[in-house]
Amino acid sequence: MDLLLDGFATALTPENLLFATIGVLLGTAVGVLPGIGPAMTLALLLPVTYSVGADSAIIMFAGIYYGGMYGGSTTSILLNTPGESSSVITAIEGNKMAKAGRAAQALATAAIGSFVAGTIATVLLWIVTPQVADIVVTLGSPSYFALMVLALFAVTAVLGSSRLRGFIALFLGLAVGLVGTSTGQARLTFGEPLLADGIDIVVVAVALFAIGEALWVAAHMRRKPLEIIPVGQPWMSKEDWKRSWKPWLRGTAFGFPFGALPAGGAELPTFLSYATEKKLTKHPEEFGHGAIEGVAGPEAANNASAAGTLVPLLALGLPTTATAAIMLVALQGYGFQTGPTLMDDHPDLVWALLASLFVANTLLLIINLPMAPIWAKLLRIPRPYLYAGILFFASLGAYSVNFQAFDLALLLVLGVLGFFMRRFGIPVLPLIIGVILGPALEEQLTTALKISEGDVSTLWSEPVAVVVYAVMALLLVAMAVTGVRKPAAEEPSLSDTPGNNDDKELVER
Amino acid sequence: MSATNPLAPTCVVAAYSADVYGRAAIEYAEAVARASGARLVIVNATRGDSLVDARFAHDVDIEALRERLVGEGLAVEVRHDVVPDVAEAVVAAAEEVDADLVVVGVRRRTPVGKLLMGSVAQRVILDAHCPVIAVKPAS
Amino acid sequence: MNTTTEPGAPASAPPVIDKAQYGLAAFLVIAGGYVVYDAGTLDKAFADQPVQPYTLPFIIGGGLVLLGIMLAVATARGNRPEAEEGEDIDLTHGTDARTVSLLALVLVANVALIEWLGWAITGAFLFAGAATVLGSRNWVRNIAVGVVLSVASWYGFYVGLGVPIPAGILDGVL
Repeated sequence: MDLLLDGFATALTPENLLFATIGVLLGTAVGVLPGIGPAMTLALLLPVTYSVGADSAIIMFAGIYYGGMYGGSTTSILLNTPGESSSVITAIEGNKMAKAGRAAQALATAAIGSFVAGTIATVLLWIVTPQVADIVVTLGSPSYFALMVLALFAVTAVLGSSRLRGFIALFLGLAVGLVGTSTGQARLTFGEPLLADGIDIVVVAVALFAIGEALWVAAHMRRKPLEIIPVGQPWMSKEDWKRSWKPWLRGTAFGFPFGALPAGGAELPTFLSYATEKKLTKHPEEFGHGAIEGVAGPEAANNASAAGTLVPLLALGLPTTATAAIMLVALQGYGFQTGPTLMDDHPDLVWALLASLFVANTLLLIINLPMAPIWAKLLRIPRPYLYAGILFFASLGAYSVNFQAFDLALLLVLGVLGFFMRRFGIPVLPLIIGVILGPALEEQLTTALKISEGDVSTLWSEPVAVVVYAVMALLLVAMAVTGVRKPAAEEPSLSDTPGNNDDKELVER
Repeated sequence: MSATNPLAPTCVVAAYSADVYGRAAIEYAEAVARASGARLVIVNATRGDSLVDARFAHDVDIEALRERLVGEGLAVEVRHDVVPDVAEAVVAAAEEVDADLVVVGVRRRTPVGKLLMGSVAQRVILDAHCPVIAVKPAS
Repeated sequence: MNTTTEPGAPASAPPVIDKAQYGLAAFLVIAGGYVVYDAGTLDKAFADQPVQPYTLPFIIGGGLVLLGIMLAVATARGNRPEAEEGEDIDLTHGTDARTVSLLALVLVANVALIEWLGWAITGAFLFAGAATVLGSRNWVRNIAVGVVLSVASWYGFYVGLGVPIPAGILDGVL
């Protein structure tokens, strides 16, 4: 409790409050802007933040994290273009509501629902994270190794539509992670001395998120402008409140546990929340034509799960989303040892972050609810400038790490890789996490085997490790059973109403 | 050259943007077409370089506009396109349909604004091969 | 959950093969092969080192080769990628290769020139070049914005963050 109060004391200093505000505004802006999301923003900001204090930077990142989601839901409602897979469901009912002239209510229930979910989830974080960390800290290397493998496996196989492509991304990431020096020998450096220290993760992240995305958009730029639905100040009637508050709470209940598992991810809980609300609603006829429950529930689930992903990040040092991965990189860049010991070694920093999540969430509601019409104006920025700006800042960021043209060349090569990954539908997340966790995995394995003096059976000598491997085996079996029939899990189509979707399902069965 | 009588054009092009300036242009062009029986060609174009272009009318609105004018018995053609250059598209359309009048809505611009933003109306006025009427929305 | 075998494609039609995917498969096999080859050149470290420096590379390289082969098989069976969608992306048109190559060229020029000319110049060129390639025709404005951004970012890093970006030929001018 004292730690939490200390955290608030840190988060509420004028300087850090300023950083939180900047983060919230910046996050919302990039959430609204096409082609640029919170993960890319954090990646672009990484080089800059090393010159700012660790707590200020982390507080700003918290603001960007929450702000990005808020901005993303705004565009999915007004434009029907979900920027991330987690807001796909929001767009289904949200855009229908907007088209029916209820954009203000859709935005309001999304924003207030995000606030409610974010607040509850943040409080849950305060309770759960230290306990999880306390347990994990007692685990030995074999168990921790097993948890890491589980996280890699889950990010690769459970999320995303094609497992084969997920594993391709993971192994490419692990290969990139091999580059550097191992036991005094240059490994996979192509004889290039500049690679002896490995490839800077900042360069990898910026290249894949920013350069790859810009090149990909350049190849497929949307020509016809989207039709935006004009909107005033978001507000809700009493009836809307009545219909929203239960979905908010149920959505939170779905979102947080899914986010907190190392298997993370926001798609499944938003989908579950949508299905639940559709079943429980008193207005089933409105579903597919703009039901407010269908916005309130999934948006709350989305936010709660985003908060939940901080549990594995802070308590285990395992990121399960792109944004969390970049935050981990930032922490490591400041020289913090991420992993189960982070909470014990740097309680001040962790609690400042946890407190600032609360602050950011509140700021988001106060600042952004009145600003929705202004944010919509951001969409008018000419895209040549937007993407030229992304390339500019990406190059600046990569160059400012070491002042080497070589890093820029690396940036371009990896950016081209990012382009082709998008072309071939290979997800970026497993690659990034592979790069980050690969070296840690090797280290953990070495530690475990050193203690056992090379006896491999030590890897399954601890009960937790055995349970984790059993879970993975179960997942594999489950996937093998369903995978025969289902090579690609299809997401609910946006252009079709759910009603049409039902028809399609029937036909396909 | 087509029109001999400047007061009775045979084909009018209206440069339409989905705002007060465009509406002023449409209203004027409509009135001319009604009075003279001229064919009315409405051009609403965008470069499509931003995700959202407020001056590019929504499909439904354009359709409603067309239906209203056709309902009044006017001969209407609507061009609703993504083009490399809006001013060029208006001028090219005017040439193609052999228009004898182009109507554009104009807005006040500061000198700096003119330098940075350029002006579609200005370029239409300079480049068109037929007379151009510049109208302002009623204030 | 929807269950489809091949989204969008009629079940009776013969599978359309995305030939470019063979290229990706080949890349994976070559990359994996190189990782394994490179691992083979590494020496055994100390005797008590349980995980030798070549242990993981062998696994990862082998995995890449295997995945490449699996991808090739899947491709032959008609497995097609779902190219990434996005707010700004319209996949109904083909790939605009010209824009992408020109953009890559601008980036290459930046790499080649930055140590000689310095960020303040190449950054402006990078922005203006990219904006022009992406379709902004007002090149005076493109350059103006680029110069403002690059000079401002140079001073921002130098003064604001205390990060001295090399000035290149403008050394002493800035």
